[in-house]
Amino acid sequence: MRHPGPLFTLLAGAALAGGLGITNFVNESTAAPAVVSTAGAAGPVTTAPPLPPLPPPPTSEPTTEVSVPEPSSPAPEDSPRGDYAGKVDGGTASVAVSVRDGRAIAYVCDGKKTEVWLEGTETGGQLNLTGAKGSVLSGNLDATTVSGTVTAGSKTWKFTAPLSVKPAGLYRAATTVGGQASKVGWIVQPDGSQVGLVTTGETSTPAPPLNPGTGTATVGGTPITAQAISGLTGEGAFR
Amino acid sequence: MTAPNETAPNETAPNESALNERSRATALTLLVPLLVGSVVAVGLGVYGNLHDPSGKAVNLAGFTSPQAVKAWLGSVAFVLAVVQLVSAFAMYGKFGKAPAWMPPLHRWSGRLAFLVSVPVAVHCLYALGFQSFDTRVLLHSLLGCFFYGMFVCKMLLLRRDGAPGWVLPVAGGVLFTALVGLWLSSSLWFFTTFGVTL
Repeated sequence: MRHPGPLFTLLAGAALAGGLGITNFVNESTAAPAVVSTAGAAGPVTTAPPLPPLPPPPTSEPTTEVSVPEPSSPAPEDSPRGDYAGKVDGGTASVAVSVRDGRAIAYVCDGKKTEVWLEGTETGGQLNLTGAKGSVLSGNLDATTVSGTVTAGSKTWKFTAPLSVKPAGLYRAATTVGGQASKVGWIVQPDGSQVGLVTTGETSTPAPPLNPGTGTATVGGTPITAQAISGLTGEGAFR
Repeated sequence: MTAPNETAPNETAPNESALNERSRATALTLLVPLLVGSVVAVGLGVYGNLHDPSGKAVNLAGFTSPQAVKAWLGSVAFVLAVVQLVSAFAMYGKFGKAPAWMPPLHRWSGRLAFLVSVPVAVHCLYALGFQSFDTRVLLHSLLGCFFYGMFVCKMLLLRRDGAPGWVLPVAGGVLFTALVGLWLSSSLWFFTTFGVTL
């Protein structure tokens, strides 16, 4: 064979890419069954109510869930379900974390221009989440509070968020602004205050207020319905 | 670099039969590498579009984020690409007689640059996919697919004797340009947006 060098170069690169690709694929497919099984277990048990007609008094069912999670919950012993909403130290940004059956979703939002969605795992009360652009959230949770650190962009914050029940918590919506697909995220605090951002491409602008009772908002002149994300009820992104 | 491209179409005019014969041989020599390269480029783009971005992929330890890893690996590739450009000029005698170690330097810096870039590309394609939500991202996606197609094309061209002399410099120049574009639209953007962080 004449000039075999370039061929070996290509083969080496292909082998490296193949190896990395297989590792990725194996990692993903071993993680996937856990997600599927929790979704299957969660669906029939909790019968999550549809979003818009949310009853205001959230005390009856959540408290039983929260105070005695082990006996009543169909999930494994050490996999709590719950929603937390709070702020970073200094209060410049809000943090919401939802946990269900070992999976966790978090949203960090300053209501001005910085926001990030993170996804990951909860193992024995330990949170490990990652999001776009290298953002990372790690923390610990118990039945009342989640606390930890979150890094988004060039900033790192410490945060604390108490357990929260509807209408406080995390909401998101997808819509179209000026012909472009946009994502909207809101965090409603237990005291009723809220922050939200509309993100189109790489640009985020403050979101119009969300009506947490009805889950509706008007974004860019279009009325939209937001999806609540709750680890407690299994609503939203907990597939 | 553009001069040979411009003269190529005119070759058929003056002396028909001989030149026709030559350009047909040239076309055949170039056809397979160009074809394979195109398939690779288009294939990567199609994969990037069809595959659901996973959002994460394996990465190197010791860095703050996958993006930082990629920005640095990309920068290593960029520096090696500059070595490629300079050593190529030297091999073509632009700086006087080239020392004997110049071709090995060119080959190995190229190999290293390619291998260093592969994990970056795998992460891009697997975790992020082909995206077009703004100009930088679209440009980066297009250049990324084009780069690997062009790289495969150039590697195959290296294995062929009888290609006209302008082919390799043009292929190398295009590759270098694409890599610089990739670096500008990713690593430089990352460093200017998030700071020069490990």
